[in-house]
Amino acid sequence: MGWGVRVFLTVTNLVKSYQTGIATPVLKGLSIELDKGQIGVILGPSGSGKSTLMNIIGGVDKADSGTADVGGTRVTDLSDSQLVEYRRESVGFVFQFYNLIPNLTVAENVEVVSNISKSPLPLQDVLASVGIADKKNRFPRELSGGEQQRVSIARAIVKNPALLLCDEPTGALDFNTSRSVLALIQKVNAEFGTTILMITHNSAIAGMAHAVYRLRSGEIAEATHNAELVPAERIEW
Amino acid sequence: MALRKRVLRTLLENKGRYIGIFILIFIGSFSFLFFRGFSGNYARLINEFAEENKQEDVSFTTYEPIADVPALEREVGAIIETHRHYDVQLPEERELRLIGLTETVNKPQALTGRDLANPGEILLSPGFFNSNGYQIGDKIEVGGKTFTVIGTAALPDYVYILKYVNDVMAPPGFGVGVVSADELEYPEAVTVYAVRFNDRTNVKAQVSGLYNALVGKGISLSEWMDASTNKRIRMPWATISGMQAMSVPVPTAMFLLSCLIVGLMIRRIVRSESVIIGILYAQGYRRKELVRHYLSIPVLISAAAGVSGVLLALPLIAPSVKVMATLYYTVPYENIAISFLDIALGILMPVAFLGIACLLVIRQELNKPPAELMKGSREKAKANIFERVLKLESLPFDLKFKVREQLRSVSRLLFLLFGVMAASFIMLIGFAINHSMNVVFSGESDAEFNYSWEYAFKELQQGEPSPGAVPFNAIRCYPAGRETVEFYLSGIITDVPYVSDLLDAKGNELPKGQVNITSLLANRLRIGVGDELTVVNRLDGKEYSLVIDGIVQTYSGQFVYMPLSGFNKMLGMPEGSYSGVFSEETQNYDPAVLSGAKDLRNVTNTMDELMMPMMTVIISLAVLGALIGAIIIFLVISLTIEESRSSISLLKIFGYRSKEVKKLMLGSSRPIVIIGFLLSIPVMLASMNAMYAYLGEMINIALPILLSPGYVVISFVLIYGVFELSKLLCARKLAAITMSEALKAGAE
Repeated sequence: MGWGVRVFLTVTNLVKSYQTGIATPVLKGLSIELDKGQIGVILGPSGSGKSTLMNIIGGVDKADSGTADVGGTRVTDLSDSQLVEYRRESVGFVFQFYNLIPNLTVAENVEVVSNISKSPLPLQDVLASVGIADKKNRFPRELSGGEQQRVSIARAIVKNPALLLCDEPTGALDFNTSRSVLALIQKVNAEFGTTILMITHNSAIAGMAHAVYRLRSGEIAEATHNAELVPAERIEW
Repeated sequence: MALRKRVLRTLLENKGRYIGIFILIFIGSFSFLFFRGFSGNYARLINEFAEENKQEDVSFTTYEPIADVPALEREVGAIIETHRHYDVQLPEERELRLIGLTETVNKPQALTGRDLANPGEILLSPGFFNSNGYQIGDKIEVGGKTFTVIGTAALPDYVYILKYVNDVMAPPGFGVGVVSADELEYPEAVTVYAVRFNDRTNVKAQVSGLYNALVGKGISLSEWMDASTNKRIRMPWATISGMQAMSVPVPTAMFLLSCLIVGLMIRRIVRSESVIIGILYAQGYRRKELVRHYLSIPVLISAAAGVSGVLLALPLIAPSVKVMATLYYTVPYENIAISFLDIALGILMPVAFLGIACLLVIRQELNKPPAELMKGSREKAKANIFERVLKLESLPFDLKFKVREQLRSVSRLLFLLFGVMAASFIMLIGFAINHSMNVVFSGESDAEFNYSWEYAFKELQQGEPSPGAVPFNAIRCYPAGRETVEFYLSGIITDVPYVSDLLDAKGNELPKGQVNITSLLANRLRIGVGDELTVVNRLDGKEYSLVIDGIVQTYSGQFVYMPLSGFNKMLGMPEGSYSGVFSEETQNYDPAVLSGAKDLRNVTNTMDELMMPMMTVIISLAVLGALIGAIIIFLVISLTIEESRSSISLLKIFGYRSKEVKKLMLGSSRPIVIIGFLLSIPVMLASMNAMYAYLGEMINIALPILLSPGYVVISFVLIYGVFELSKLLCARKLAAITMSEALKAGAE
């Protein structure tokens, strides 16, 4: 592997098992790479280990062995308190079910992250760039699914993270809304130069990524990269 | 039903919370039965004692003996029995009032030992008997005679033992002893006419009739004591009324608080299980089966706590009544009975309170169709009206977050607010009573009169008083049309060192040579400067009108002062005459000319004696307040954490440090705790003032309720300490929430 010249994310021989009476291996010596400013997609069915991989890269879970380096930081070697600082400054999260705090307004949900960030982007600019500036005083319940996911993206990018992790960002959305959210993710990548790693079971999304990894039972079944990216608006499934 | 197994599991999963609720209901049921049982039994004992031992309706003394008592008895339809009493000084600053045995009115009843049968025997009041460590059979020297102590006794006209009827409490070392009437041949002994009317209806009118008859016959009264305003008789009723009053709000507050929190918890459980409920519906479960299932938790807890509260209260009532009957208000204590209805209410009330509250919550949730329930709860994501209306944009994020966190659940917020108010209220009551008594009885507030002795003469005196004695004249009177408010109208000499500056509420000095009223009495009568006050002399019924010139700011005493010369002139008394003197030094008056001598230096000792049991009460109230506060704050914080699990998890993912999460989530309750505490101060002052006014009316005393800044700070530190402790306990729960909870969350 190693097709890029500015490798930003490197995962090497990552192993992870869960203890539920007996050890259940989830990641079995998995390795991936992603260049700075690129979009990577991890494809795989349920239980293939893609969420576990993303959690370890995002510093919310720990590996049994192997390494994960993000922007020169070996995430797998960080202590709990160092992981807090890492998540605080370097990683943004977008979730399938948005995970907005229901009793905070749109603006306040974004402020949850900008509040602790050292150099956040201007709130108004971020809200405008994801197209929800006019709804900043609404509560999540008053928004559509697509709008909620836009808030989730705004919240993730307001700290201007080096790495944006998206966990099935379109999993709960209809086709048209999904396309507009994907377009937004592409726009974020282009506008802010953010490296994005997205996990999904929708293989149609692969076309919009520079690097695509197919996972099966905790192992990389296939790794490809696209020389030309498909604009999100043209993705069909 | 298999669902039953879940009830115990649910209880065990949140045992800390359910134990807290159990304690709140327990306190409610315990206080209900205890106060009801105590006050009910005590009221019955006092009533039975008054009836069976023929308590007086009125008593009086005269300057000259009444010539034909039987004729007067027939005229007014009453039994009039004379008895004599005589105060004897004993070694070690003790004093015993010997009272002659009566046969028909105010009959004493032996509590221990036996009734008087032979000359030379004495029955002592239990307090005096116990404090001196006497045994039955002991010989005591009193007034030059030797008496054999044959037991203790209760007297209907000395249920609350006071030396002077206008005192609030007796001096330490004071007691009464009943002896054969023949033993009281002392020339200085006072003869008292005790009257009990034959017709037990409309006693008040008969008392007035007797008074008019005596005045009409030209009989000069030296003392007139209506039982309805006699503290020796009425004081216990103030305590009973106070307890009866407490038997309602304390349990109600506890039950309502429990309703709020249990209702919240049940709603949370039902909502979080809406999918399961929908599935059970879909599989054929009836609504009433599910209602029964979810209702079993509150019913089980309230029934268990109610039964426990009742079981603890039951064995405590009889000993408490006995202690009260022996040490404070002396009555025979027999046949303590507890009403079955009270026991049933103690158990059923919390069940009904919680059952109904939870039934409403459960039915509201279970009314939704199965399809909607199976979709899962979406309601919680809705912003309530307060959240929508509040514009918080300009606030810093941390503050916004905390405000939103509190507004998220209005019922939770109210529970915390009212809970902290209740806890602070209970705590402050103890401190306020303590401080008020300190101020009122320590004499600090009576700074306007600084003398050590007060002597009252049987007859009006004229001429120069003895060296060092400052004369005064006074009548006991009441405002026209309001007989229950008794006070002294005093004529005083003001240009002596014993009378310091008289200050009004603003601290301005009041001229001494005018008509001044104490602020307590002015408040009670609702009169101010410039108002006219018509007073009626209690002893001869004559009316006098006064215009109030000034109000003396004081926390004790119900007096109207005016210059002695003006007083004598108004009452038609000889110029320079006086009925008593103040003195810094002891005066050697012949006891035969005195109707009383008050050693005002004793106040401090009396206070110490009073304050010892008071301290126990205050500490108990402070502990109870802190316990209730701890339970409520712990419940709210743990519920807040429970309801915000996904948000907390999310904050951790975003890189919030532990202390930042703690500050945001646990610190959001801080302003409510502070507001709750601050609100409790005026609420406590207002309610206690109202209660004191009511009780004061019963026993003719005016007690202010005062709170010192020091005690407010102590209470706040306790409540705030409890808050910080609860946060500390809940911090572990916060730490236990993992990031995976948000990662797996399938909701907003």
